[in-house]
Amino acid sequence: MTNYILKRLGQGLLTVFLTVSTVFILIRLAPGDPAVSYAGPLATTEQLAKVREQFGLDRPVLEQYWIFLQQLFTGNLGTSYSFQAPAMQVVAERMPYTLTLATASILLTAVVAIPLGVWMSRRPDTNRELGVNVLTIAGQSMPDFWTGIMLLTGFAVLIPLFPASGFATWGGLVLPTVTIAILQIALISRMVRREMTANFAAPFLTVARSRGVRNSVLTWRYAMGNSAIPVFTALGTRFAAMLNGVVVVEVVFAWPGVGSLIVRALETRDYPLIQATVLLTALLAVGVQLVIDLAYPLLDPRVRLGKAATA
Amino acid sequence: MSLDTAPPAEVPAGLPSGSPERKPSPSAVTKELIAKAGATRRRKAAQWKMRIGAVCTLIVIVPILLAQLLPLPDANHQDLSARRLAPLMDGHLFGTDQLGRDLLSRVLHGGQVSLTIGVLAVVVSGAIGIILGAAAGYFGGWVDTLVSRILEAQMSLPLLMMLLLVVALFGPSIPVITFVIAIAQWPEVARLTRSMVLVEREKPYVSAARILGLHRIQILIEHIIPNVIKQATLVVLLLLAQAVLLESALSFLGAGPQRPFATWGRIISDGQDYITTSWWMVTLPGLVIVLMVVGVNLLGDGLRDRPRRKKKGA
Repeated sequence: MTNYILKRLGQGLLTVFLTVSTVFILIRLAPGDPAVSYAGPLATTEQLAKVREQFGLDRPVLEQYWIFLQQLFTGNLGTSYSFQAPAMQVVAERMPYTLTLATASILLTAVVAIPLGVWMSRRPDTNRELGVNVLTIAGQSMPDFWTGIMLLTGFAVLIPLFPASGFATWGGLVLPTVTIAILQIALISRMVRREMTANFAAPFLTVARSRGVRNSVLTWRYAMGNSAIPVFTALGTRFAAMLNGVVVVEVVFAWPGVGSLIVRALETRDYPLIQATVLLTALLAVGVQLVIDLAYPLLDPRVRLGKAATA
Repeated sequence: MSLDTAPPAEVPAGLPSGSPERKPSPSAVTKELIAKAGATRRRKAAQWKMRIGAVCTLIVIVPILLAQLLPLPDANHQDLSARRLAPLMDGHLFGTDQLGRDLLSRVLHGGQVSLTIGVLAVVVSGAIGIILGAAAGYFGGWVDTLVSRILEAQMSLPLLMMLLLVVALFGPSIPVITFVIAIAQWPEVARLTRSMVLVEREKPYVSAARILGLHRIQILIEHIIPNVIKQATLVVLLLLAQAVLLESALSFLGAGPQRPFATWGRIISDGQDYITTSWWMVTLPGLVIVLMVVGVNLLGDGLRDRPRRKKKGA
């Protein structure tokens, strides 16, 4: 068990390291000069050179990488060009907002999608099921920025129920959460339906039914119990992906999270800020993945971590 | 009818079954029961989905393909005296935008760009995915390890953030955006192809081909890939829907093809500022995207649910 956790932690940290290094190389390969966006278009050549020297951008790339590695291990990724504050601190301040939004969305998704998927799997090939099925297809076909603007116009402008942007009150959480959840509910409920349908057709369920097990127990203990791992994995993976910033929704609702931060950092070529965002979000995502894997034995006692770890 | 109208024993089997009341058929299963059966309804639902899907897709795609031939104002023709006209006014079916440009024309011409990117991206990701997935599944060993590791690594990467990064850094040209979407999508094809090839590899015809002395690459290309390509292309159809959505999201964030290309995401993001006064500038282009993506998804779903026809021979 401990060995397994250590091994997975090692792999996770390696992934994070490779991700951050890839980003480091990518941003330096690309055209564009942070000094220009920092000093403005009217800056003289000397001013630009001075800015570059200040940021350490005049040094050879390998030396910059060496400095970056040192920073990585001390946890200080330098000063953000545009915020004039430690980059890690800027990202850490935004993180709770993204966490709140992601948690609210995944909770709403789980609460709606699991019963909906079960409902669909219990009446296959009926007209009602077909109707809901088509609705889920529509749900996964709507661009999230468009859904967001529509909800914003409907429930913040025309009928002013919720604030339009930002996170001043808890009401501000409703519209972004619903926007994210519409897509996730569509995806997860279809997945639950697929898993449950497969389990309903399995021999162990026929045996249980012939023994006279009640329908609700059949559904929730027998079928759902055996769908728990894939469903939990899907929810967890989605959650981890959201931690990387629900970029589009954050931009639409002017949500002060990491998603809108990275858009701004990319526009201004704020190297330290880009690197800090990628590092922190990748760490969190890897952490969530590890927690998901560690939860498997709780969901299914047959799972033994370490042996089935590579499967 | 009801199940207790069991056929009398004296009726010889094999008679053409007429109406169940007069000439009892040898089977208790009536046409009505068959029509109500789950399998029939599933087939009907699949057909229904495919038809509706095809109609939705065609409603969007045909005008886009014919955009140059339709009697529409030029997509970039500005008319400041006809700014933000509501739909159906002055012959503008979708109304006009803040610069007096015809919205329908912009949506159709923008659709050409969006669709081109989507189709190209899907072709590229499909090709990469099928080749790498098939190689990983067939050769196993270090090839499989390498491909699987790349797949895993990409899954743990922040996808949209990386796409934005690449586009922001390398410039939002059509090739870059196509490439970026293809890179985002190939893992799905690769994983599916790999799992199907793993199954095919163990079938007798592969052993037969090997005994006949065919080269491994020849077996893979001439015998295995043709057997999995049909199912792999089904996924590709669903990827097209995703590619269009992804492209519009990138455009919305300002990382789409630059002007003069008016892609769907950009039209919506331009109209966002006028949403309170001119609802159509955001709503209608969005509905066009939804209609097409729903159509493609329904089509793909119906094709997948459709009961497989029995193969003749082979």
